[in-house]
Amino acid sequence: MTVLVALPVLLPLFAAALSLIAGRSPRVQRLLGVGVLTAIAAIAVVLLLETDRNGPVVLQFGGYAAPFGITLVADRLSALLLLVSALVTLAVLIFSIGQRITDYGRQTASTAFHPMYLMLCAGVSLAYLTGDLFNLFVAFEIMLASSYVLITRRTTAARVRASMTYVIVSLTSSLLFITMIALVYAATGTVNLAALPAKIAELDAGVQSSLALFMVVVFGIKAALVPMHFWLPDSYPTAPAPITAVFAGLLTKVGVYALIRTQTLVFIHDASWTVLLVIAMLTMIIGVLGAIAQNDLNRMLSFLLVSHIGYMLFGLALFTVLGLAGVILYVVHHITVQAALFLTSGIITRHTGTVSLQAMSGVAKAYPLVAVLFALPALSLAGIPPFSGFVAKIALLQAGAAVGTPVAYAVTAAAVVTSLLTLFAVTKIWVGAFWGKVAEPHADPDPTDEVTVGTGSTSKGMLVATGGLVAVSVLIAVFAGPLAAMSERAAADLLDGGAYQTAVLGADGGGR
Amino acid sequence: MLTAIAAHFVLAAVLPLIARRWGRGAFVVGAVAPALTLVLAVSHADDALAARHPTETLAWAPGIGLEFTARFDELALLMILLVSGIGALVLCYYACYAKPGDRAVGRDSALLVLFAGSMLGLVLADDVISLYIFWELTTVCSFLLVGGDGLTKKLRKSATQALLVTSLGGLSMLLGLILLASASGTTRISEILADPPGGGVVPIAVVLILLGAFTKSAQVPFHPWLPGAMVAPTPVSAYLHAAAMVKAGVYLVARFAPAFSDLPAWWVPIVVLGLWTMVLGGFRALRQHDLKTLLAYGTISQLGFLMVLVGAGTWITALADVTLVLAHGLFKSALFLTVGIIDKRTGTRDIRELSGLGSRWPVLTAFATLAVLSMAGVPPLLGFVGKEAAIEGLLTGDPKDLALLAGVMLGSVFTVAYSLRFLVGAFGTRPTVAPTKAPPSGVAMTTMVGIPAVASLVLAFAPWIVEPVLAGYADTYPLPAPDYHLALWHGLTLPLLISAVIIAAGYAMYRASLAPKLAGWIPERMSAQNGYRAAVMGLDRGALSITGRLQAGSLPTYLGIILVTMVVLPGAGLLAGGPLSPTELRAWDSWMQLPLAVLVLAAAGTVVLARRRLTAVLLTGVVGYGIGALFIVDGGADLALAQFLVESLTLVVFVFVIRRFPPRFVDARPYFRRARWVKAGIAAVAGTFVAVLAVLYSGSRDGLPEASRFYIENAESATGASNVVNAIIVDFRAFDTIGEIAVLAVAATGAASLILARARQRPPSLAALDETDGTDETDGERTEVKR
Repeated sequence: MTVLVALPVLLPLFAAALSLIAGRSPRVQRLLGVGVLTAIAAIAVVLLLETDRNGPVVLQFGGYAAPFGITLVADRLSALLLLVSALVTLAVLIFSIGQRITDYGRQTASTAFHPMYLMLCAGVSLAYLTGDLFNLFVAFEIMLASSYVLITRRTTAARVRASMTYVIVSLTSSLLFITMIALVYAATGTVNLAALPAKIAELDAGVQSSLALFMVVVFGIKAALVPMHFWLPDSYPTAPAPITAVFAGLLTKVGVYALIRTQTLVFIHDASWTVLLVIAMLTMIIGVLGAIAQNDLNRMLSFLLVSHIGYMLFGLALFTVLGLAGVILYVVHHITVQAALFLTSGIITRHTGTVSLQAMSGVAKAYPLVAVLFALPALSLAGIPPFSGFVAKIALLQAGAAVGTPVAYAVTAAAVVTSLLTLFAVTKIWVGAFWGKVAEPHADPDPTDEVTVGTGSTSKGMLVATGGLVAVSVLIAVFAGPLAAMSERAAADLLDGGAYQTAVLGADGGGR
Repeated sequence: MLTAIAAHFVLAAVLPLIARRWGRGAFVVGAVAPALTLVLAVSHADDALAARHPTETLAWAPGIGLEFTARFDELALLMILLVSGIGALVLCYYACYAKPGDRAVGRDSALLVLFAGSMLGLVLADDVISLYIFWELTTVCSFLLVGGDGLTKKLRKSATQALLVTSLGGLSMLLGLILLASASGTTRISEILADPPGGGVVPIAVVLILLGAFTKSAQVPFHPWLPGAMVAPTPVSAYLHAAAMVKAGVYLVARFAPAFSDLPAWWVPIVVLGLWTMVLGGFRALRQHDLKTLLAYGTISQLGFLMVLVGAGTWITALADVTLVLAHGLFKSALFLTVGIIDKRTGTRDIRELSGLGSRWPVLTAFATLAVLSMAGVPPLLGFVGKEAAIEGLLTGDPKDLALLAGVMLGSVFTVAYSLRFLVGAFGTRPTVAPTKAPPSGVAMTTMVGIPAVASLVLAFAPWIVEPVLAGYADTYPLPAPDYHLALWHGLTLPLLISAVIIAAGYAMYRASLAPKLAGWIPERMSAQNGYRAAVMGLDRGALSITGRLQAGSLPTYLGIILVTMVVLPGAGLLAGGPLSPTELRAWDSWMQLPLAVLVLAAAGTVVLARRRLTAVLLTGVVGYGIGALFIVDGGADLALAQFLVESLTLVVFVFVIRRFPPRFVDARPYFRRARWVKAGIAAVAGTFVAVLAVLYSGSRDGLPEASRFYIENAESATGASNVVNAIIVDFRAFDTIGEIAVLAVAATGAASLILARARQRPPSLAALDETDGTDETDGERTEVKR
């Protein structure tokens, strides 16, 4: 069973190497990609069932016991997110194959899409599964390095400029991350996540909370918390839809996951959480106002993404079982829905040849199926019942009301306002793009890039992938009961921390 | 009960397919669900009336308070009579109203049945979350039904306004309900009502809930969405915007009123806005030429009336309220359906163009007259019975109730006047207008109008049929029930006199056509519609201006903000944490460290001043070598070797690359401008802050970490390596190394694919990139990119 924990990382890593070698054969690359991601999803299901039944599954690399070697740990939270991520990455890969961006540059033997994409997946899996702070940094590096390659596949001035914003901000966050690891090691002498809580508890209160907030900054850049979010809407929307979908849907959530993991496992609840609540509120409101101000479909979705990261920080900052359960539900919902929306945006752009809301019209009449594919995740994002976003939002609002301090009330109210403004934003999209007279497709503004748009048609792979994601988001709502129960158990684990530490360090709390 | 709701949803899902097959017949199929519900509800009426109140629960996600709970009581029964009864009627009517072969049949029938199911769920819901779920579903149905295919701007705007305004209320209601549930410790409405919480957040919670009711029931100042929604097909308006959905607000208030009727935060907003709405709606109705819009304003006015009666909070006003809810549902649906016939047969619903329909369609005219008289509160119709009760209930002698009575009388006078305006406008004969040409009104459609109209008459003579239901609701108030019964004739009483005065005054007002003369009363600028427009525009502009200011588009600014956050947040945490335990500070371990540190700092400082690329690269090299030398001083010769190797290699590569660049950085302007000082300041503060943290944190730990000890002790025995660093990299933490090798592979692949992409097509030159950079950035600063 313990080997299963390593497979979600090692499989895509080896598959990436094979895929690089098999660069000349698109079919082998596709088979490798789809096969490996399906395997990860299957493994994630097994891990989820196992962790839910028997507690965390732990692998000590090289047989060196924690805290001396590197530990991989799958607990409820990581297994759940691994499953959702595998499904999303699989859907995005199928979409990419359908959109044929995987074949971009094939004539010049630049066949890097599949290997880089698999590397990205390996990094994401490792980030969820690692139980070691430095190894988490390595996971981020793998993830980010492959994302740099994926975002710079086309070298027009605008694309290079936008991706430079992304690359430089990400490098800055890596720099701060490694600094933070040095500081943690300086203060505690360990980077093992399970061993940290005991060491941290011995530190002065000021050192503890400054370390906690340093981590918030490091992971907050990746998660795009206000005021560290500016890079996201400036860089993501320029990439092709599936790339944006996986970056926006997934990579920000890896940041959120790192926040949840480190803050709950390593740090205790204290007054600095008020600061987090305020950041959560700012993130929600500034993000959604940004969305309202946009005319570009992808930019609007990017700002909405920022805004809804605020919900996740909100639940985390409440630091109650219900709040954390709400966060887990929200992350699961949001990965799926946000990715689905970006994919739908890709389909719309393929049809209409434009991302400008003013330039499109009558999509619902021309392509009713696309309208359904947009409407379901959009309503879900706005928290309209009975979709997945509503389920997650209700949990968060109840958690906020249950905490009952003035700041908590204020953030709860802000969450409701954000919900309304999100509805306002998606209504703008619906009214502008989907209603009205059917418009002729616009000509492809850049015929030489990897995305062909303005064809007035779509490919089966794109529809199947997007439909699959939308179906997953509907299933999240249908099975909200078991999922919420599971999230609550995961949240209780996080707050308690005991099971995780015992599983990693042994019952006597560490040593050989 | 839950099965009935689910049956609606299932039927709605298959209706588009049925519509493809049977066309307009889909509406009749759709009517089966509400009709069966009505039959079931009536046949089980005893359960509700005998206070058995059967309850059903379906768990969804009970851990987070999500479950569907339905409870069948008197108020629910009354609402089902309206929701399902009129629902079935309207669906049948729509089958005749729709054009044969209309492509919208599938969508509209499905949405209407979905709506009927949601409304059913709404009135049966016994937990706050289900209540909200169904509430919001009705909003979405309304949006899609009003918007239709969204072909015209008017459709799009009206649908959006209805959605936004009612969602505003819906969400605030959700917050209020959650606060209320949190204060009472249960999400069950029946339990909250049985033991209402008090104090604390409860007043805020009830005001938030009321906001939901006011927006849904189109109370001032939220009302303009309702006349706007009249762009929807007339059967939709009849069902959603007269009989059912707009009643949801009144229903909500009626549902919670028994618990909160004494709370000022509850009744004051209700009666103030209710009265205002009643008078304003009636006044506006008098000025309309479009029959449908006239009815819409009439609905607004009546909803205000209904609100006032709940707000008054006595047993008799509660009875009057639910009587009028029933009466209004009956007469208003009849009138909307009448307008639908007129519109469909004549192609217009403008009073100024209609003439002579009364003599052409006598049966329809008779039915419509019944409905109009019920609306005006004229005997012998149900509207009169309800209004009598309302006046009786307000005649308590309490000054508050007297004030309410005065307002209600004024509103009722308007009601009588616009009722006459409707009747004469629709069916009267204008000498100046040629008689309207019209085909027969149609037996089926006229019958649909007749059913609710005749019901208004029958129930007035036999109020005992429904009185148990209505009085059953009034009994839920914690008040003793007085000896009062609904009846047409109570004797020569004061309420009868007041009714007579109202009718006479209303007739006089209609004859004098006062309204157009009073039109200048309300300045256009104060109208609520302008308020909505200003709010939406303000939101758009505010969002644009805030985002425009924050989203500068400049990478240096973004990095600066990130660094400032990195200093401020942990810095505040450090300060808030109280005094730190003392740390033993040593200036240096070896005197060699001092000159090396100075060298590194000086080189780092000058690198930002360098104008030539080569100088900058060389100075960066100095920093690297300096740090390598520090390693040597600390005894890490192997580390230093690695550092020197990397530094040298990087330097060589850089020098090769830089040959292709212009020798100087493009920015030729003076260096020490303000922006540069700010950046230098941020960089210096951030660097110093990290250094301070490093010192403080290192001081928090005593001795060698156990991991380090383990590595040193076991390196040779476990791995066979005599160098601990090697042992860590290739054995203890080999997995990190695998990862880093993967990163290298990725970087190499990325570089290769970039080069290959360049080989394929002529790339934009770097100089061109530089220029776009320089012009795009607002502060004229440039972004240097080194890779």
